[in-house]
Amino acid sequence: MPKINVDGKDLIANDGESILNVCERNGIYIPRYCYHPSLSVAGNCRMCLVEIEKMPKLQTACSTIASEGMVVKTDSEKVRKARKDVLEFLLINHPLDCSICDQVGECFLQDYYFTYGLRKSRFKLENKNQKQKRREVGKYLVLDNERCILCTRCVRFSNEVTKTDELFVNSRGDRAFIDISPEKGVTNKYSLNIADICPVGAFTSKDFRFKQRVYMLQTTKSICTLCATGCKINIWHNNNTIYRITPEPNIYTNTWMCDDGRMNYKIVNSSERLTHSMINGTEYNKRQTVKQVFNKLSKAMDDKLRIAVVLSNYLSIEDNISLIYLAKNVLKTPYIFSIESNQQKIEDGILINSDKSPNSNGIKLLVKKYGIKDISEYAEYDIVIGFYEDIKNLRISLVKTILFSYKKSSYPCLIALKTYFETDGSFINWQGYLRKTAKVVNSPENTFDLHHFLMEVSHLFAVYPDFNFKGIIKDLKYKEEGQ
Amino acid sequence: MIRTKKLDEKKLNFWESIYIVEIVKGLVVTMRHFFINLFFPSRIITVSYPEENLPLIGNAKLKSLHRIKLRKDGSPKCVACMMCATICPSKCIYIEADETENYVEKYPKVFNIDMSKCVMCGLCVEACPEDAISMDTGEIVGGSYDRFRNYKNGGLFLTKNELFRHLPHETISKSGAANRLANKYLEDKND
Repeated sequence: MPKINVDGKDLIANDGESILNVCERNGIYIPRYCYHPSLSVAGNCRMCLVEIEKMPKLQTACSTIASEGMVVKTDSEKVRKARKDVLEFLLINHPLDCSICDQVGECFLQDYYFTYGLRKSRFKLENKNQKQKRREVGKYLVLDNERCILCTRCVRFSNEVTKTDELFVNSRGDRAFIDISPEKGVTNKYSLNIADICPVGAFTSKDFRFKQRVYMLQTTKSICTLCATGCKINIWHNNNTIYRITPEPNIYTNTWMCDDGRMNYKIVNSSERLTHSMINGTEYNKRQTVKQVFNKLSKAMDDKLRIAVVLSNYLSIEDNISLIYLAKNVLKTPYIFSIESNQQKIEDGILINSDKSPNSNGIKLLVKKYGIKDISEYAEYDIVIGFYEDIKNLRISLVKTILFSYKKSSYPCLIALKTYFETDGSFINWQGYLRKTAKVVNSPENTFDLHHFLMEVSHLFAVYPDFNFKGIIKDLKYKEEGQ
Repeated sequence: MIRTKKLDEKKLNFWESIYIVEIVKGLVVTMRHFFINLFFPSRIITVSYPEENLPLIGNAKLKSLHRIKLRKDGSPKCVACMMCATICPSKCIYIEADETENYVEKYPKVFNIDMSKCVMCGLCVEACPEDAISMDTGEIVGGSYDRFRNYKNGGLFLTKNELFRHLPHETISKSGAANRLANKYLEDKND
């Protein structure tokens, strides 16, 4: 455990830790372009230069290992001058593109220029190197080589994280540029992370391109509900519209995020979205829907039909608890079933799970708590209540179902639900952590929160529930972060 | 401490202090204008605003109705960088950006100014990095009761169609960073 001195503070470093990491842990910020905490160290941008006593030249903080007795200065006159000069070099061939660049607001060049640079360039505008401006790379990315500062974060990402080796640096000197190996193309499922880690505007997202300025957006923390991994995400939204989703790096689950998860927000305003509940081909508003479902169920109960309730791995714990409540206390049916999920396994060694349902672990806990059986002889029931995605796989005859859905489909009785961008919900991911989604946008007027809908139906049956979700969720055996 | 300066009031002389002479003097001026307006209407010096306007003097022209300058080929110089919309204190500018196949990638698909909100401060002109928006048309916005009717129909709402225009006898400026690409493209095209 070497002891080092940074700007007059005595700090203790771990063995083999770089100076930049030690400073980062202790709240001293060192500017960087090529350094990224989840990638290997390259040391080519020279922005993190610091002064170390008894060393004749400035050293890069990201690649210098802290050793016993080092005296480091991160803010001396010499260091500040070096940073200014490095910035001037980086900006020599950088185009004056800020007005059409999407990186504005999160651009390291802009930020550091205002903190460390603030000098007019001594190089003529006409002498700037001109490179290829707009090049579409893969399905989701646009590459602008003129803006690139060759930090090679993207190259290292494709080498180390996805291990697909799609990107490389072509040519040398001031003619060097980022190129794509022609036979591969950028086809990996994590390509939009490259747009995130690019410190300048060289790689930008084709989907988010020119939609909105970053500094006009708000972020809300939430989770991705596209597979059992349950990545933590930031949702960027403004004026009741979601514009993009980025990962929220954390040590428990994810640093990165897959492209499908990022495009998941499109369901909110898609043309396939179910905005009204559809019963036998007619649209109903909220109140009418509750009444219709009540009539249907009370008639079925009078006729002593067998009603089955199927819990869904796609719905949150709250919604599933309400389904169980409805079956046990309102419909008084013994037929409550759960559906077995796929085996939970990270398919590609990075993030994507082979189980595509976000809440299978939560259902497993509920099944244990309430003693619910796995569904097997489904064909024998007269009415089946469940989530449409599950029923699709079960192949039940279409006449006797009441289904909850976000999307339009051909089933006769569909109740329109809010997506988990529009309502809160708790999920337990494949590691056993309890995670919550957050409401970021308003839903269409006639869509339901599932547990509100079920409670309204039970009110019509004159059953008034007396439990709160928090208490029930607390009893489940989930892991908490930090344990 | 606040500095104060005492001003001595002008002492009135005898003729002024009895008022009658001064009142007659004033009435003479009024009656002169009255008879001029009555018998020689061409010599009236007031105008009936907002139907008529006096030409603006000097730099007053630079705080008049907005416009977006155009490039040589007729495309707008604006690249929808949102600087004006960001700095605008009354939030009267609304822009939607989009991508073009043009040499400059970004252009404003929608550019609206709600003149009923605008305070004519001119910050948008100063913020514009492309020298695109300017307030040099010399037109003054008249009063209207309808803020959502189009400006051309007597309302106060400016859209792309009213904003994007050349002034008569205007030489096309080459300033602006993104304009570099445009100018170069046009030069290449001419060669």
